Amino acid sequence: MRTEIRVGGLGGQGVILCGMIIGKAASIFDGKHATLIQAFGPEARGSAASAQVTVADEPIGYPYVRRPDVLVVMSPDAYTTFVPTLKEGGSLLYESDLVVPDKRLPTGAKVLGVPATRLAEELGRRLVMNIVMVGFFTATTKLISYEAARKAVLDSVPRGTEELNLKAFEAGFAYGQRLVSGEDSRVA
Amino acid sequence: MWPDTTKVVLRQGPEVHIRPMVAADAEALHRFFLALPEEDRLFLEDDVTKPAFVQQLLAEQEAGRAFPVVAEASGEIVGYGVLYRPLFGWSTHVGRVRMAVARSFQRQGLGTAILRELVRKAQGLALDKLVAEVVEDQVGALRAFERLGFHREATLGNHVQDLSGKKRDLVLLANDVAHIWEHMEALVADFEPSAG
Repeated sequence: MRTEIRVGGLGGQGVILCGMIIGKAASIFDGKHATLIQAFGPEARGSAASAQVTVADEPIGYPYVRRPDVLVVMSPDAYTTFVPTLKEGGSLLYESDLVVPDKRLPTGAKVLGVPATRLAEELGRRLVMNIVMVGFFTATTKLISYEAARKAVLDSVPRGTEELNLKAFEAGFAYGQRLVSGEDSRVA
Repeated sequence: MWPDTTKVVLRQGPEVHIRPMVAADAEALHRFFLALPEEDRLFLEDDVTKPAFVQQLLAEQEAGRAFPVVAEASGEIVGYGVLYRPLFGWSTHVGRVRMAVARSFQRQGLGTAILRELVRKAQGLALDKLVAEVVEDQVGALRAFERLGFHREATLGNHVQDLSGKKRDLVLLANDVAHIWEHMEALVADFEPSAG
């Protein structure tokens, strides 16, 4: 089985790190195959950034993501750019305080929002919003295991920041779990 | 999350476990405070010999305003540290630390180990800055703080009075614990310098 994921947002939101952690969780800690392709503008902040992650049970010959099964968007621009590429029946995970899903969604898309920035701010640092998103991704897609994602977060963040990053992961995970166990999600 | 217990092997060999304080520690902690030389107790500011102090500490821990740790060796408490975090006001980003180590365990790195746990906790709470007060001639304590990134921010002249009535300077130490987030900021920049 092969799953294509695209993560899109703005520079400074940790888009690439989010994609990298998902890929690391899948490949190193869950024993699957994964590839990552990153794209960003020359500016440090505010320019578009995106990551293409492919996760598969078999070795991956073609790493580019054309029609993602899962689209994670953290900015309105990323939504506008990438939502036309989302596969029919695919999943849209979005930053619900920044992005408003609309009619451009493909048929049957599963739509799940999380106020990742707000949750990160409540923890004390906006900087960890991408880790909130990793937790949310883990709970809602079940493409990577909870344990693998947690280990990948710990393995990827700077020393000394582990506790807060884990709190961010748990906050996103818990939010996602509540969504998938309840009926808060919408299907386009 | 804050680890339950951190094992530390001190310079002279003893093994010490540092962990968050729990209600069951109340008696042992009270014994520890009573055993401290009066001179050392003065530095803790509160009257730690009163059992009410430990109860107050537990209440503040419950409220999320205090994060006390104890260092345990052979079932006895031999060190104590606490991180205070204000929940209201203009300095909610600043934590305050205090600690004490039993005389027989001093100069073995235990103070540094306790302090390290408190700094980690502060970072986990997203605090930006830590402050501590040390009397000018507490050389060991000053060294422990400086080793973990604290620097002298101010000196209050003749601010404390020891048991003999002698007045001494109080050093205010500060540590910008938010600096660790600079690495995280670089990681989330989504920026490749060579691409610009």
